[in-house]
Amino acid sequence: MSKAVAAQPTSTLSRLWHKWRFHINILLLLVPLGFMPKYFADASLFRGDSGLGERDIGTVQVGPWSLQLAELRNEAPRPDGPAGYMKSFNAALCDTCIDQVKAAYLRIGKPRSLRAAGVIFFGTPYRMGATLPIPERTKADAELWITLEGWDGSMHQAAIPLSQASPATIAWLAQRGAK
Amino acid sequence: MHPRLFKTPALAAALIALIGVCSQAQAHNPMCECKAIEDGQIRCTGGFSDGSGAPGVTLDVIGYDETILVPGKLGADSTLTFKRPDSEFYVLFDAGPGHIVEIDQADIEAP
Repeated sequence: MSKAVAAQPTSTLSRLWHKWRFHINILLLLVPLGFMPKYFADASLFRGDSGLGERDIGTVQVGPWSLQLAELRNEAPRPDGPAGYMKSFNAALCDTCIDQVKAAYLRIGKPRSLRAAGVIFFGTPYRMGATLPIPERTKADAELWITLEGWDGSMHQAAIPLSQASPATIAWLAQRGAK
Repeated sequence: MHPRLFKTPALAAALIALIGVCSQAQAHNPMCECKAIEDGQIRCTGGFSDGSGAPGVTLDVIGYDETILVPGKLGADSTLTFKRPDSEFYVLFDAGPGHIVEIDQADIEAP
């Protein structure tokens, strides 16, 4: 009898734990459910089921070729340590130009030369990706330049306003400028 | 009974900490920084945003008319020091097509 009394839990916390531990464990199993919508949205985005990216920019004509552009994420540029702020874009070449285009580049402002054409798109021509550094002093009326290099040595360029390519970036620049 | 009670949360905390460690792999974007040092010299340091250096990577100093003023390669310490050209120029850190950093002369910090 006295032995049973000695084994009784002493603190309130300990008593609560012993009474509710199974229920608490079931609650822990429910926690991942809250992350499911984001998980499935991301899985669909990266698989390509929900289009090229979160926000379609449209088709851009570049000389004889064209490509479809999209923002991977409809959000402000993300910081990448000392390399600065980065913004990811996805692109798909038109069906007839896949065999002719060797490389696609993206840059803010007109490139000085083909060597300095900006960041290169990599991946399959049906879904290429590029991560573009956004200089903090970028002006709101800046242009996004697309350079396509052909296997025949030709080069074609086109530009679209950054405000059309990524309104979220323009909003981010305006907010930083106000600081 | 008490030791077991404390062991389990510690294990859970360790697992949660591990999940935090294996975050998504980051891309390594090229980066380059140029500074004016004494005697009209400029020192440029290249690297990648994953923390790796860039020894042997091409770094050219190019005039606004696209002539290459200083064709260079970064040294073992990922830096290159050159004399500031008299004409207008920009620095091109060139780690391959599409892996470049341009630095305009206006963006080079004075000593």
